[in-house]
Amino acid sequence: MHLLSLLIFTPILVGLLALFIPSRFVNTFRIISLGVSIAQIIILIQILFQYQYTAGFQLAEKLPWISLDLGSIGLLQAEYFVALDGLSLSMVALSVGIFLIAIISSWTIEKNRKGYFILLLILNGAIIGSFCALDFLLFYVFFEFMLLPMYFLIGIWGGAKREYASIKFFLYTLLGSILILIVIVALYLSFQTPESGERIVHTFNVLSMYNMENLIPNSLLSLDSTNVLGPYSFRLWAFLLLLIGFMIKLPAVPLHTWLPDAHVEAPTPISVILAALLLKFGGYGLLRFAYPIFPDAAIHFSWLVGLIGLVSIIYGALNALSAKDLKRMIAYSSVSHMGFVLLGIASGTVAGITGAVYQMFSHGIISAMLFVIAGVLYDRTHDRLINNYSGLSSKMKNYTAFVLIAFFASMGLPGFAGFMGEVMIFLGAFQSQTINGLVPHWMAITATLGLLLSAAYYLWTIQRMFYGPFSLKNSTVELTDLNSREYTMLLPLALAAIIFGVLPQLLLNFINPFAGDFVNVLFQNLLTH
Amino acid sequence: MELKDQLTSISGSLGHLLPELILLAALVIVLVLGLILKKNKQAILHAISFIALLLAFFVTIQNWPQQPHSLFGGMMRLDDFSSFFKLLFFTGGFLTIIISPRKEERAAPEYAILILAIVLGSCLLAMSMNFVMVLLSLELISLSSYVLAGFAFDRKSAEGSLKYFLFGTVATACMIYGMSLIYGLSGTLDFSSNQFIEALMDNHSELLVVASFLIIAGLLFKISAVPFHLWAPDVYESAPTAVVAFLSVVPKLAGFAILIKIVLSLNLFGQSMITWGTVVAVISLLSILVGNLSALVQTNPKRMLAYSSIAQSGFLLIGLATISMEGIHFSMFYSVIFLLMNFLVFATLKQFENSISIESINNFSGLGRNSFLLAFSLLIGLIALTGLPPTAGFTAKLLLFTSLWSAYQDSQSIILIILFIVGLVNTVVALFYYLKIPYLLFLKVPATGAAPLKTSYSGNLLHLILVVMLIYLFLAPSGLMGWINQITFVL
Repeated sequence: MHLLSLLIFTPILVGLLALFIPSRFVNTFRIISLGVSIAQIIILIQILFQYQYTAGFQLAEKLPWISLDLGSIGLLQAEYFVALDGLSLSMVALSVGIFLIAIISSWTIEKNRKGYFILLLILNGAIIGSFCALDFLLFYVFFEFMLLPMYFLIGIWGGAKREYASIKFFLYTLLGSILILIVIVALYLSFQTPESGERIVHTFNVLSMYNMENLIPNSLLSLDSTNVLGPYSFRLWAFLLLLIGFMIKLPAVPLHTWLPDAHVEAPTPISVILAALLLKFGGYGLLRFAYPIFPDAAIHFSWLVGLIGLVSIIYGALNALSAKDLKRMIAYSSVSHMGFVLLGIASGTVAGITGAVYQMFSHGIISAMLFVIAGVLYDRTHDRLINNYSGLSSKMKNYTAFVLIAFFASMGLPGFAGFMGEVMIFLGAFQSQTINGLVPHWMAITATLGLLLSAAYYLWTIQRMFYGPFSLKNSTVELTDLNSREYTMLLPLALAAIIFGVLPQLLLNFINPFAGDFVNVLFQNLLTH
Repeated sequence: MELKDQLTSISGSLGHLLPELILLAALVIVLVLGLILKKNKQAILHAISFIALLLAFFVTIQNWPQQPHSLFGGMMRLDDFSSFFKLLFFTGGFLTIIISPRKEERAAPEYAILILAIVLGSCLLAMSMNFVMVLLSLELISLSSYVLAGFAFDRKSAEGSLKYFLFGTVATACMIYGMSLIYGLSGTLDFSSNQFIEALMDNHSELLVVASFLIIAGLLFKISAVPFHLWAPDVYESAPTAVVAFLSVVPKLAGFAILIKIVLSLNLFGQSMITWGTVVAVISLLSILVGNLSALVQTNPKRMLAYSSIAQSGFLLIGLATISMEGIHFSMFYSVIFLLMNFLVFATLKQFENSISIESINNFSGLGRNSFLLAFSLLIGLIALTGLPPTAGFTAKLLLFTSLWSAYQDSQSIILIILFIVGLVNTVVALFYYLKIPYLLFLKVPATGAAPLKTSYSGNLLHLILVVMLIYLFLAPSGLMGWINQITFVL
């Protein structure tokens, strides 16, 4: 059974076939998309049954893809290589779930449904493909393949300033991926497959890159290379490029400025996908590629990663505090929460890494919920300014209940998914100084300020929007409480936010083996070389 | 050599020139028929040229040279390298005929003749091994191009043509001057001969460097590389779209083929006074930067593509900058992809031109919704020019940058790593302007209730074939690359 390929290519193929359905059958497109999502959930359940709670990659599928003769440079070998480990499985599961929510949320899209749902399907396949790919070239192709659908989805179906936001998103992300491409070219020319004989076989296989034995002696990225470019060796530079590339995606301060614009202008379902899934590539890329391939550089720059994480936490939270637009507030809270992921990764401890992955997963659920909530309000009033609302709880009781759940979960209150991730990240960050000395105590201590600030901006928003006497500025619409479509989105998300807060073991079973293995490999590689 | 031997050599050489002879015959037939036929029957002239080009294409494949043949006493050489480029010229030629308008064309016979003449000249240029032959074939291309550039028959077109002519003449004059100096230094015009190499190796002088630069300058003019690019925007803007598509590919690739040969020869196996790889790298860097940055501010699509074409020349030169067999192979791979994607873009623009004025990109607003297939093809073409997956444009660029990194690893020449980084980062700049048209096509609302554009089935089919090829070569580049890898005879 090629479960992974099925998961990746079902949406892409269905999307391509849907091109041939005339666009006057407007309703078929959303039903097809829903069908694909449900099929993906069934496939995912099968995958979960087959998956074993151990470290290492499972369900691997490998096919030769490109094999080129590069003359005296050697041979180029790229494979179609997909597999899952604890990290990618949690991300894939998140993607499948979020896409179902996004499609339900897209039900009200009226403008050019055919184009919209086809782009959504292609995006779906590309995202899952990137999470599964273990060949760097394959990853890059899927990664780039996300950009165009996303560009059009924001640019055509977005808000007033959609064109500016979409091109900004595209250019930023492309810049990031070009930096990654530079490293990919350097990497594959520096690595050979273990079985290459007379002629060097250059490989994009990420697992081969994890093993320092496969480095070609005297290549610029080899460990004993004495070549330097300015202050750093090529290995350090390569790591920095990857770091910047993935930090744009994360996004980390100061590379985050595309995010608020993209979020504010994107339609609700696209905001959901952007926040819940695309941002995860930042953390995923660091954990999957940058850290294990360049452990020495990762250790060298861990203080930088930690510091950027810290700055993002505080700066994002302060911006969220001052944001006037509800979506902008949520966007900055994402920046702040992704800062925690960086801090956890920088700590290099099992707890920190586990926490980082857990935080990525829980942020996926919670941010999706937050954007759905913002969308619910926007659908009714076409107004996102926080100050224009007051006393909403009197008119929309059930809605307020969900808002409270989402806000508290995002704040990291115990009992919600957000709590587990942050607790473990702090555990890791505080341990770090004594275990491996990567992240100093003061960073961990300062980061707690972020928790305080996030409580501040959420509680203040609740106070401003939901309490007090009811009033609406600039709008005279009669507010109605949630409808059944909105329940079907919010209920599962709220349940997930609570379940993963109460029963963290569900997820830790997958993440913990991965994190343990990750840290072992990181330091082992360092000790042996 | 006895006269008799010379005659035998000449008649023996003619047999190897079958594709060129076919073109020549077609040229004469078109010329004569053009005088006889009535105005409304002249579509047949296009058909004749088309068939001749197709025939030449298959004859070239049929007589693929396993061994190089020296022709006309060393003036030319038929080898796999030149045959490869000849195939590209024929393809470019018949694609141009396909996208050229068939009706209401003024001077239809002349149009077909000039295209055939340029293809013929390009073939001869790619085979040249002697400076005189280079000059003659280059002039055949240039003179025909000057006329062809004026084929819109308006003031602007005449201006573009004249500019092209003036710049071109100066470039040729420089080249002749350089050649005469080199002839004085080496005593031979055959730039592949041992005498040439030996003489220049013993003769390291500044004069040689100056002379070499003069020759290279003439060729850089042909491929519109910075700083010899100034003619390109005006010519591209004013010439008919089909002609621009043709001029931006065929003469450029011809100039590129001979540039490879001459640079490799002047490099004297690395013994030359200056490192020609570095010179080419600097020119490539400048072309990429100037081309892309200037394209950013253009509002006329053809002018924008002119600057893009300057940048593309920069990318073509990357392979040569590494002065390695692999680099040249990758540049040849890039040439194929460049031909496909450039024609795709111009063919779609030509279709748009049938319905709207393409003077300004704003005219494209909102057209993508009603003419999806056309707009989608244009999008794929532009994505390929940017160098993004899933198109072969990505593969081609990846290979070029591979050779660059590898060359840097061997030589530690700082310019190569700069070119590597600047070239890749320029993708972002390039995307910004390449995306302008798709942005207007898909993201803007049409001004009035615009009807779907007129498209022809044959046009759509052509676009579809090119799109499929670009995607296929991304998924499976091994076949083409394997074939290019077998090409060994450059000098």
